[in-house]
Amino acid sequence: MLNKKDYPKLEESRSVTTLANGLKVILIPKAGFHKTYALMTTDYGSIDNTFVPRDGQPAVRYPDGIAHFLEHKMFEKADHDAFDLFGEYGASSNAFTSFTQTSYLFATTNHLHENLDILLDFVQDPYFTEATVNKEKGIIGQEIQMYDDDPGWQSYFGMIGNLYPKEPMHIDIAGTVDSIAKITADDLYAAYNTFYHPSNMSLMVVGQFDPDEMLGWIESNQNAKTFPPVVPIERERGPVATPDEVVAETTRHLSVSRPKINIGIRGFDDVPTGADGLKYSLALSLVFDLLFNDTSDNYLRLYDANIIDDSFGYDFQVQRDSHFAQVAGDTDQPDQFVAALAAILDHAEDQLVAAQDQFDLVKREAIGRLIGAINSEEAIANQYDGPLFGGATIFDELAVLQQIEFRDLQAAAQVFWPQSRRTVYTILPE
Amino acid sequence: MRERKPEGVTLDVSSTQQFKTIGIKVDFVAPLTVDAITARALLAQVLETSTEAYPTQTALSRELSRLYGASFGISVLKLGTKHVIRLTCAVVNEKYLQNFTDQQPLFEQAMALLKAVIFKPLMPAGQFDETTFNQQRQNLFAAVKSLDDDKQYLANRRLQELVFKDEPAQAMSALGNMTTLSQLTRADIAETYRAMLANDSVHVAVIGDVTEERVATALADWPLTDRTSDESSPYFDWTAQDRVTNAEDVAPVVQAKLNLAYRLPIYRNDADFLATTVFNAAFGGTPLSLLFTNVREKASLAYYASSSYNPYSGTLGVQTGIQFKNRDQVLAIVAKQLEALQSGEMSQSLLDEVKASLLNARLAALDSPQRRLTGLLNQQLTRQRLPLKEWEAQLAAITVADVQRVAQQVQLQATYCLHGGDQVAE
Repeated sequence: MLNKKDYPKLEESRSVTTLANGLKVILIPKAGFHKTYALMTTDYGSIDNTFVPRDGQPAVRYPDGIAHFLEHKMFEKADHDAFDLFGEYGASSNAFTSFTQTSYLFATTNHLHENLDILLDFVQDPYFTEATVNKEKGIIGQEIQMYDDDPGWQSYFGMIGNLYPKEPMHIDIAGTVDSIAKITADDLYAAYNTFYHPSNMSLMVVGQFDPDEMLGWIESNQNAKTFPPVVPIERERGPVATPDEVVAETTRHLSVSRPKINIGIRGFDDVPTGADGLKYSLALSLVFDLLFNDTSDNYLRLYDANIIDDSFGYDFQVQRDSHFAQVAGDTDQPDQFVAALAAILDHAEDQLVAAQDQFDLVKREAIGRLIGAINSEEAIANQYDGPLFGGATIFDELAVLQQIEFRDLQAAAQVFWPQSRRTVYTILPE
Repeated sequence: MRERKPEGVTLDVSSTQQFKTIGIKVDFVAPLTVDAITARALLAQVLETSTEAYPTQTALSRELSRLYGASFGISVLKLGTKHVIRLTCAVVNEKYLQNFTDQQPLFEQAMALLKAVIFKPLMPAGQFDETTFNQQRQNLFAAVKSLDDDKQYLANRRLQELVFKDEPAQAMSALGNMTTLSQLTRADIAETYRAMLANDSVHVAVIGDVTEERVATALADWPLTDRTSDESSPYFDWTAQDRVTNAEDVAPVVQAKLNLAYRLPIYRNDADFLATTVFNAAFGGTPLSLLFTNVREKASLAYYASSSYNPYSGTLGVQTGIQFKNRDQVLAIVAKQLEALQSGEMSQSLLDEVKASLLNARLAALDSPQRRLTGLLNQQLTRQRLPLKEWEAQLAAITVADVQRVAQQVQLQATYCLHGGDQVAE
């Protein structure tokens, strides 16, 4: 049975249920749209490199990059490739891996039922051989090397590596050329069997369909398959750096035209669970808006001093086992950039009070942007963080945002800031 | 409509309740000249910064925040023989907001803001504000310089310079070049601005829950004057060389970027345009394509290997990221895929799949307000409006022989490889 919730002001609704096999289903119909976007996600990403395999003991450390490697190999079967099955209907399909999740998707304007079955079937039917695994190593090796040449990526992951020097997050999501060389078909089966059980997965469908009919299609597909019983997943989190182990600064030389600086701020506080976690996350995002967005006094001051320019940006993100902010940009005055931002970040709570008169403006902007995002099926589906925020959808996020007051920002900042640690990652021209 | 629309100005309104926002796009279209590219890029940057009423970027940003995070930007693009300065703005439809108490709806406020940006920039005494000008010239300088940090972009730019060595306007980035930029004065930009207002073709388009009359009323307030309608062809015509130019450079890169450029003398208005789109999708434009299948999936030589077709300049490009030691092997595979299409070796299933994916992409684009707005410029430039049903029928009728006929017109012009040298190759 679908649990339906209406959002009358937004003229939207969502229907959710959990199937007998544990698969969470979230359905969001979009009237007037031509396309349907389906996203199937497992709560398994690059940081989960040490775990107790479903049929074994004890915990095993798997090669770095295995979650992303598995993502690549899911498409290939004994006698066909799932890409081609979607292709027969003209549907587009793709997949992506983050620190904590792996997602598979298709988008189509026709043959929705057939495409849905292709998605469910290819994600639930692993097929790996040593030959097909070895063939993929050349492709992923080139993917890794492509990012080696991307200074923006190097700056971002360099910053994360400094904040999380001991955690798996310091390793690239795709692993390294050396680590993926060690991956075997058996490793992929172990990861698959442990993390791709329906009870660890969700299916979000957004687009042009009737929710009850869609649920019927999903159930008939799932009821025709058998799944092993649910067993608890045992991830080993591995080493966690202490605040003092955060690397304070790194300078690297690369082929760039101007210095690039990425300042990372790692939270060591515990993020609340469920809707409270969503509120905490939104509140801290608004804190960074008040300190740094282009309506702030700080922004104009640093812009006019040519310390920052249009390349300047920032964000705050929460994932399973980590939350951090980044403030980054290109600059011709790297020392002044670091000093000016440190001066703001050192007194963040005072700065916040000083910017209070901008709160309504910043909140207005956040509300408008979030409503605008509902135009996009991809944005609606990709926003969904599953168990992290208690299954909140973009509509729930908007409701939380509308309720946020300035004192919520202060409360979140008071928890986050005193326990946070900072790093400065600088890339200079060669 | 309440008032006569000025000559040389067009308006398209897509009234739909599909979206939460109302989107506005204004294109100023001028002939592409090598001198104008840099000046217009700088003008766009200056106009985006401030207005007389909002004299700093902070003041302008606060107004955008007040309009519930209105998105606003000015970009520049090159299309064939045309240069476009494009303003875009999108605001939420206030019916989705709680406690909205502004006097005017957000759409009318957004139109008023765009009017201020276009017609009332910060120009004390007839010149752009000096501080703003210097700062934005510096920022654009930095942005142009930073473009080459993207090695895929750099490889493509150098390839364009090989193909269009006698056509600097075609080879140049849409942001212009640093030499011209360092010489531009406030007077130059003021002149460029006045010429844009007086001479450019103007294409306004709006999408969202608004009526044509409401848009026309808001637009009637803009002091747009009559201008000569630009009837000239948007297509850049050029003669292919019989000899292929090959070049390479050593740079500190881990992965080699190997790019190829071809002449493909078929343009948007040509009868074979749609067949060319199918050809490109089959050759390298989609994950179903021969390049993706053979360079990546079968030979495991690349993560990306794709082609792109420019129907305004009659060019086809191939982009790959590979190990340098595999360069000859990759070139051979790419050549073989083109030869296959030229000799009509294309399976019916590949043709059917590529057509299905183009149809899917076309329908999916209807769900993106930005793509619907930007797609309108093609109609303005080509003066063709093909209804969906007719387009579908044309697509369905394309055969392997049509694709073969297109492929036979493809002629390799240049190859370029940016690589780390032998010492880096594994």
